[in-house]
Formats: sequence, structure tokens, C-alpha cells
Amino acid sequence: MTLRPGEVVLDHATRSFSIRADNAGTLKGRLLGRRAPGPAPVPAPVPALRDVSLRIAPGETVGIVGRNGAGKTSTLRVLAGIVPLQSGSARCGGRIVSLLELAAGFSRDFSGRENILLQGALFGFDRAAIEARLAQIIAFSELGEFIDVPVKTYSQGMFLRLGFSIAAHLDADVLLIDEVLAVGDEAFQRRCLRRISEQIAGGATLLLVSHELGAIERVCARVVVIDRGQVAFDGPTTEGLAAYRALLGTEHGGGESVRPPRASGVEVTDLELRDGAGRPSSVFHGGAPLGVHIAVRMVAEVPSPRVRLVLRAASGTELFATLAELIPLGDGTAGVAFEVPDLALLGGDYDLAVGAGPAGGAIALERSVRFAVARDPDPSRPEGLIDLRGEWRAVERIR
Amino acid sequence: MAGYRFLFSQLVRRELRQKYKGSALGLLWYVVNPLVLMGAYTLMFGFVLKLPRAHDYPLFLMVGLVIWTFFQQSLLAAADSLIIQGALIRKARFPRETIPAATVTVQLVTLVGVLSLVSAVTIPLLGTLTAWLLLVPVLLALLFAFVLGCALIVSVLHAYFRDVAPVLAAALLPWFFLSPIFYETRTLGYVQRHPLVGTLLNWVNPLAPFIEGVRAIIYGGGGPGWGRVIYAVCAAAVSLVLGRALFRRMERELAVVL
Repeated sequence: MTLRPGEVVLDHATRSFSIRADNAGTLKGRLLGRRAPGPAPVPAPVPALRDVSLRIAPGETVGIVGRNGAGKTSTLRVLAGIVPLQSGSARCGGRIVSLLELAAGFSRDFSGRENILLQGALFGFDRAAIEARLAQIIAFSELGEFIDVPVKTYSQGMFLRLGFSIAAHLDADVLLIDEVLAVGDEAFQRRCLRRISEQIAGGATLLLVSHELGAIERVCARVVVIDRGQVAFDGPTTEGLAAYRALLGTEHGGGESVRPPRASGVEVTDLELRDGAGRPSSVFHGGAPLGVHIAVRMVAEVPSPRVRLVLRAASGTELFATLAELIPLGDGTAGVAFEVPDLALLGGDYDLAVGAGPAGGAIALERSVRFAVARDPDPSRPEGLIDLRGEWRAVERIR
Repeated sequence: MAGYRFLFSQLVRRELRQKYKGSALGLLWYVVNPLVLMGAYTLMFGFVLKLPRAHDYPLFLMVGLVIWTFFQQSLLAAADSLIIQGALIRKARFPRETIPAATVTVQLVTLVGVLSLVSAVTIPLLGTLTAWLLLVPVLLALLFAFVLGCALIVSVLHAYFRDVAPVLAAALLPWFFLSPIFYETRTLGYVQRHPLVGTLLNWVNPLAPFIEGVRAIIYGGGGPGWGRVIYAVCAAAVSLVLGRALFRRMERELAVVL
């Protein structure tokens, strides 16, 4: 059965790697190793993929997330045909173009321009196909005159620019991109994501491995969470990222304790974010409701206790802070909720932290929770953190 | 393989450029080297040790030396080739044979260049312009196929077992002396007393028929001997089939071991 161009199928894929200090053996080890007396200390092979099955249709955009060592890169390398499987099968229909290791496939003594030809050739393109794209690739890379300089003088960022430009301008049916975009600056990353969107519009299938959930949210419609070599979740992006956050332990569940409860007399015991329907969530949408539910416990007699709530961008910038009075119940607990009717945040990751303490003093933050605001894939939508909700209108020339 | 012809030509071109870039004499080095060896051997075997010497000994030496150099350089370069190009192997899925094949092809370019120069001197000097010369390209093609098969074996073995290149380098030295480069096997006194040794030297060493065959044409002005041509065809076929089979078996894990 042949696959349609852009179709990707992993069928019970299994692969493990043996760990040896030196990757290549020696003849002596081969000849003598078997007869060596005593139990040879052979470390057990580390499984990278365990019975992974995936079926991806042409034109799908799939983000692969997982912790370090979960098997994300192995999945891409297996699909690219670079590493063979021990059992099962991995097949891609059509032409595969991959961007896995940044500096891989570059000849250091040759110029950027010559390396474009070599890389294209590696993916099986002929001279005419590559030269037709040469001008586009060079323009996108923004390397300017450096394109004719040997790549051994390039910085990591320049390698990324060139490597990405090549991968993103060849006519791929399946595009495999590993965690490499993080090297680029923010403006370049945005251009990369836009370029990827264009390629998808042209019918390419995308598999993107990234720890930058914002990037995945922006370009991927489907998320596969890989954990310990197995598929832990496979479904729409919003749910997938929530599942991944749950795996990382940054989902709600009372929030993460950011400092040991101090003798402030009041302790925050629970912190939970809820969506408009009152369900716990960690992914929200701009313009939709967000509720912050806080539970505290009185440890000592505190005069007029207060709770403090701080919203920070993922970069740490404080965006908003507010205080509320607490009215303790008879059993020494208190609950309070902060309701936001329409969230004025743009797509990205945010931290929400709360603390409690007596009025008049500084209130230290005790618990924090990270949440995401879904990004709008439409590139014409505003970018940034805060949605100012303004409108553009045409005006007469001023004076 | 067909879709990767451009990759092959890219690899050959960049290796050729890398080889000759930054050296003032460039291709000339590949003539200078055998010339120096030729001078040394002429002195040693022609005057000091007094081997039964062929006429126009320097010309006799050159043909054999050029072919040997191609064989030796190809194998030594092929042994490292997959390791040197490891970055490409980890980058994409392409027929990995392209890499050792490009390495041997680069050496073939040198061989053809230098052998043309040697022929340009030898043929007018010795008056060996015969129709047999048409067979030289055929023998060179068979030699290329034979060496390519060996290169496939050496390259993939060395990627897994890094002792292969040193073992090979050690084996090449006695091999060099056992090859009919600075003597013609049948003219050696010892061989004349022990014909069996002569047969062994001529037919066990797969390189001997290639050397003697090409030399018989360019230097001797005669035919290569049909036995040698048939032997060359068989050696090329066996080497290619074995090399390809072993390479196919072992190449799968290359991205992991490199």
C-alpha cells in the first residue's frame, strides 16, 4: 500500500538505544568480549519508542510535546528514515524535509550558497529545483553578504537562519522540525511560524517538536504528548497542551507552592483557575471569562486578613495586582474568587500568583499557577500581551 | 539512487575542490608523488639491488605505481569517509553508498589525469601506440568497480570498528611489495625456480592482473592477455556484489554509531 504524499504512518514503532561510552565498538571487543570471564557489565538498552502508532493525514499540523528524553526527537529521526526501527514500521508519503540538528549537513569550508545546494541534494532535489528557490532561500535567511562566506564563521543564529530557510522553501510533502527555533530571536521565530503556515496552506504536513508551547499553539491543530516512549495523549491542541501541563505538574491541583508557608498567620491552601462554565482549566481564550478560586486557612489570629493576587507575563513582568479582604468562617478557613468577565490578554503563557497575610504588611506570594491564553492563528491579529481592544479607522490627514 | 545523482556530483565536486584548494601545485602533487617514488625505486632496485630490470625502468615503474596509488588512496580515504560525512548521515535519508562512491570517484579523476600524463610520455617514447589502448578504459572501469566494492566494505566496517583503518594501513605495505609494481613477476629469479610462487603472486593478488594488464598495453605495446581481462571482470563483479551486500546489511545503524 502506498501512502499519499504528505501522509505519515507509524505502526507499532519500537526502538531502543544501547548506551555505550564509545559509540563504535572495537574489533578487539568484538573478538574477545564474548569470551571474557565473568558477567560483562552491559547496560540495558534504553527504550526511546515503545509501540508507538500514529496516523497523520496530508496537510495536518501536529505538535509533539513531552519531557526531555521522552522520545520526541527519536520519533522525528525515525520518520526521517535516519534511524531504523527494531520492530513496527514508519512511513512518510512524498518528499520529506527535516530540520533536526542545526549544524548537521553543513560543510564548514564551503559558503552558505554552496551549502544550500548540498542540503537540497541531501533531500533528493536536483539542481534545477534548488536553484529555482535559491533567491527565496537567501532572501529569507537575511544573511546578506555572509551567504558567500564559509559557514565555519557562522553563529548559531546564522546556522538557524540558513537551515530553516532551506527546509522551509524546498517543496516538502512532510516537514519535520525539531526544537531548533528557540535559537532565533523573537522576530525571526515569528517569521518562521508565518512561513510554516504558508507551507501548510500549500498542502504540506508538519510535525513540530518544541518546548515553546506558544509556537505549537499557533501553528498546530493537533498535539501528540509523548511520555516515556509512548503516546500519552493525541488530540486537539488545547486539550493536548492541558494534558502536557498536567504531566509536567503545572496544571492546577492547588497551584505550585512557591515558598514555604511563613508565619504570616494565613496560609493559601488552594488555587484554581476555572473557565466560563466553572470547570478547572489551564487554557483560556481572550474575551472569554476566567475565574480565580482561592482557599485559605487561618493558622493564627490575624486582624483583617487579606489576599493578594498578581498576574505576571511568562517573562516575569508584573501586569496586574489586586487585594481582597477575607472573611473567615467558623472553622478558620475562607474562600474567595476573582472573576474576570472577558479576559483582555493576548495569546501566550502567564503566571498567576496569590498570597495571604494581615492588612498593613507586605504580603508574600505563596502559590502560583501557569496558564495559557490560546493564540489566534490569524497573523493579522494583534500581537503582544494586553488586548487594548482598539479599532482602526480611516481619518483625514491631520492638518 | 537515480534521484540522488545531483547529490553524488555535489559530493565529488566539493571533495575535489577541498583536495586541491589552498595547495599551489594542485593536481601536480599527484604526479610529483609517484615521480619521487619512481626516482627512489629506480635508484634502489635499478642500481643498488640490481633486480632483473626492465628496459626504460622509470616508465615501467610509473604505470604500476599510478595504479597502486589509486588503489591505496581510495581505500584509505574510503575508510574515513562515512565518519567525516557523519553530519550528512545524521541529517537526511539518502543512499549512503553515495559517500564512499564519491570518494573513489575523486581518486579515479586523479588516476585518469596522471595516467594520461604517463601515457603521453610513454607511448611516443616506446612507440606503443596500438589498438590495444582502446582496452585501457575498459580495464580502468573494471578496476574502478573492483575498488568501489572494496571501498564499500572498508568504509562501513570502519564506521563500526575503528581498528579497520589501522589494520588496512598495515596490510597495504606488504601488499605493495607483493604486487608487481617494480618488478615483473615472471622475470624474478626466485619465481623462475618456483613457478608455483609465480602463479600465486599473479592470481591470488587481485590487483596484479590489473597492473600487469594495463602495463602490458601502455608500456609493452601488446595485449593485456585475455586471462587477465576475464579475471578483472570476475574480480570486479565479486567485489561489487560482496561490497554492496555487506554495506546494505550494515548501513542501517550508521546514524546511531556515527
